[in-house]
Amino acid sequence: MQHVTIPQDRIGVLIGEGGETMREIESRAEVRLDIDSESGSVAVESVGDPVTALDAPDIVRAIGRGFKPETALTLLDGDLRMFDLIKLDAQTRNKNDLRRQKGRLIGENGRTRELMEELTGAHVVIYGSTLGIIGEPEEVEAVRQAVSMILDGAPHGAVYSFLERKHNELTGGPDIGQPR
Amino acid sequence: MSESADDKWGIAHVYASFNNTLITITDQTGAETIVKSSGGSVVKQNRDEASPYAAMQMAESVAEQVKEAGISGVHVRVRGPGGNGNKSPGPGAQATIRALARAGLEIGRIEDVTPIPHDGTRAPKNKRV
Repeated sequence: MQHVTIPQDRIGVLIGEGGETMREIESRAEVRLDIDSESGSVAVESVGDPVTALDAPDIVRAIGRGFKPETALTLLDGDLRMFDLIKLDAQTRNKNDLRRQKGRLIGENGRTRELMEELTGAHVVIYGSTLGIIGEPEEVEAVRQAVSMILDGAPHGAVYSFLERKHNELTGGPDIGQPR
Repeated sequence: MSESADDKWGIAHVYASFNNTLITITDQTGAETIVKSSGGSVVKQNRDEASPYAAMQMAESVAEQVKEAGISGVHVRVRGPGGNGNKSPGPGAQATIRALARAGLEIGRIEDVTPIPHDGTRAPKNKRV
């Protein structure tokens, strides 16, 4: 059994309308979720095959870090799909710096975040002081590198061309007609 | 768990850090090693040693040898670096368990044996992403 703590405002999402989302996680990952809506602590207990239950704590954690339940449930789709979390508060100096870096990661009208998703194929969510990534290992690695570039102060243009290059590597061959 | 007299069980010790993955399969006492493997045995570049792909390949070859040794199922003990370092197992852990299951080994209990300090030495300062 494992415990995962999620923020108050994500508990409703985890449970879903009439417990829908919770039941879907329970049946698909073969686990039992014990949600304490007071403290936000979720106990994940495997009831079926322990191998399928391996992803359940990550699914709950992903929903807790701002992912949509549908996106979080894609973790069950492939063997290698993984969830990765970058703690931005550990990478920034203070509250103001955190705000600034989050703004840089999201970009104007969410452009940077969207480009990270489009060019790698991973899902990227910035919520509170964390940046969550769901995708295949190479995709997650590419986003991780892009994020570290931005946090190190690289100009957005450089990050975009890095992502463009990664995109070509990931899709195998240049993709003509991609909007810059 | 179905542990009759003739199907033997073992323990798969999986140490998954961010730089490497080590798989050691022992008998139930943990004293006799049956097979062991690490990232370096399947990949060329050092940075790929911890990758889930390497872990999968290792697990496949390990599973084959384990079955030859007459073991039909394993309990899994996963471990991250632990101590004052990173508490969660690296990317190789999940991939290993999955690949072992896929290769036809029965998976019994999965246990996390990452060493947790009862307040030990000071943690290292935060690293960049």
